[in-house]
Amino acid sequence: MATVEERVKAVTARVLRFDPKDIQPESSFTEDLGAESVQSIELVAMFEEEFGIEMDEDAALSVTTVGGAVEFITNVCKAQGVAVEE
Amino acid sequence: MRLILVDKPGAHRQNFHPLTLSRPLWELRCGMTSLGERLRAKVGTSDVAYFLPEYMAEVYRAKAGRPVNDPASLAGADILIVDARVKADGFKVPAGRSEVGVDEQGEVLYAFVTAGDLKKVQGKDIAAFLESAKAALPNVRCELPTWNYTWDLILASPHQIAADFAVAGRSGIEGTVEEPNAIRGSRKDVYIAKGAKIHPMVVIDAESGPIYIEEDVEVHPFTRIEGPCYVGRKSILLGAKCREGNSIGPWCRIGGEVEESIIQGYSNKYHDGFLGHAYVGEWVNLGALTTNSDLKNDYTTVSVMLDGKHTIDTGSTKVGCLIGDHTKTSVGVFFNTGSVVGAMAIIMATGKPLPKFIPSFAWFVEGVVTKGFGRKSLYETAATAMSRRKCRWAEADRSMWEAIFEMTAGPRDEAVKKGRKAMMSKS
Repeated sequence: MATVEERVKAVTARVLRFDPKDIQPESSFTEDLGAESVQSIELVAMFEEEFGIEMDEDAALSVTTVGGAVEFITNVCKAQGVAVEE
Repeated sequence: MRLILVDKPGAHRQNFHPLTLSRPLWELRCGMTSLGERLRAKVGTSDVAYFLPEYMAEVYRAKAGRPVNDPASLAGADILIVDARVKADGFKVPAGRSEVGVDEQGEVLYAFVTAGDLKKVQGKDIAAFLESAKAALPNVRCELPTWNYTWDLILASPHQIAADFAVAGRSGIEGTVEEPNAIRGSRKDVYIAKGAKIHPMVVIDAESGPIYIEEDVEVHPFTRIEGPCYVGRKSILLGAKCREGNSIGPWCRIGGEVEESIIQGYSNKYHDGFLGHAYVGEWVNLGALTTNSDLKNDYTTVSVMLDGKHTIDTGSTKVGCLIGDHTKTSVGVFFNTGSVVGAMAIIMATGKPLPKFIPSFAWFVEGVVTKGFGRKSLYETAATAMSRRKCRWAEADRSMWEAIFEMTAGPRDEAVKKGRKAMMSKS
């Protein structure tokens, strides 16, 4: 199974139309990857679908970097009993 | 006599969603007043108490300044309990002996209980009290006319404005009318209250019905107002083409073309765009060019989906959109004929007519319903909008809207799921 980081990068690449190789943990969704507000909403939705989890919108949308999303999603998966590869 | 207005939970009040999600039924407007004001005037009392769904009781208590869901109001005087759906015009106020008016389904539409008969009636809450009254007191089979759907109010409002104008008995100009100006029809059919300012180049056309402009209204140049029309206090018309039959509540900003619509109050439709046969809640903002259809191309009657699943034939060829409180639209949104747009929704344009049902708290983005930025940002925006009109968003408001969020989860969750599928197939 792919790791959380790999899956987060894959979703981000698909939604924001980037090559996954160009996405780093420190990449900012808005400043480095150019995510607009509508795409932020889409990213949250696609992360929920990818991991089968429910995220609090306010908390999820306060995450600014790819690495931050990995950490946040890992914690949500643990809290909701979803097994993931760290 | 004490008048007790009742808004019973259940199917009847859902027929007035999304407007009654956040207010009791009697606060809905028709003509120059609310349904509750009309019932109070009919009964002729200022001793009024209210029973409504518990989740909105605290918010309404702060607004009403009268007892709300208070069992003590069911004692100590002759009481007349009236279902808020009862039309005041057709209601004959009972007097003398106690009686309970029931419709053909056996549902209580009113109950008059004299102080002497109160000991015969018991019940911890209003539903139990009414059942007890029905069992203990003489029943009267009645065919009272009732309001059944929101579009009943929209369709009746123009006629009601004319009737209310006659009852109000006011005419003439107490405010300021700057020249040049044109008043068509009889000046007896125009009332401009003190503090209202009519700028130059405004046409007030009372030829087909009366026009009542409340205190501190401001009407900007190039506005045309056709009667019957009611404009609530502190509202501003900004070069609007205000066609016949509009009832505009207080503190609204209205531009563009508006026809036979009810706007509850505190809402903005500042720019061009057509709104027809619509009912718009409070704190709504319609972006520039937001437009609704109110007539189908084949002139057949308009159907509406109040719950997102089941269509109801309105029986009318003219029904526009129903929009709940705090909903905002972007520029260029097109609503289909008979659209229902929930409360606290954010609607972004797609360039084509939107789905006929958009749930409450939906963020309609790129053609699909999403969870968007969540409730916190909606509440922050609501608080900001209210503070701009010197109203306060209180903890009770948040609690009420949290309850509404839960109540409206079903259709929204389904729409979000559908939206996810569409997003995934696109990406």
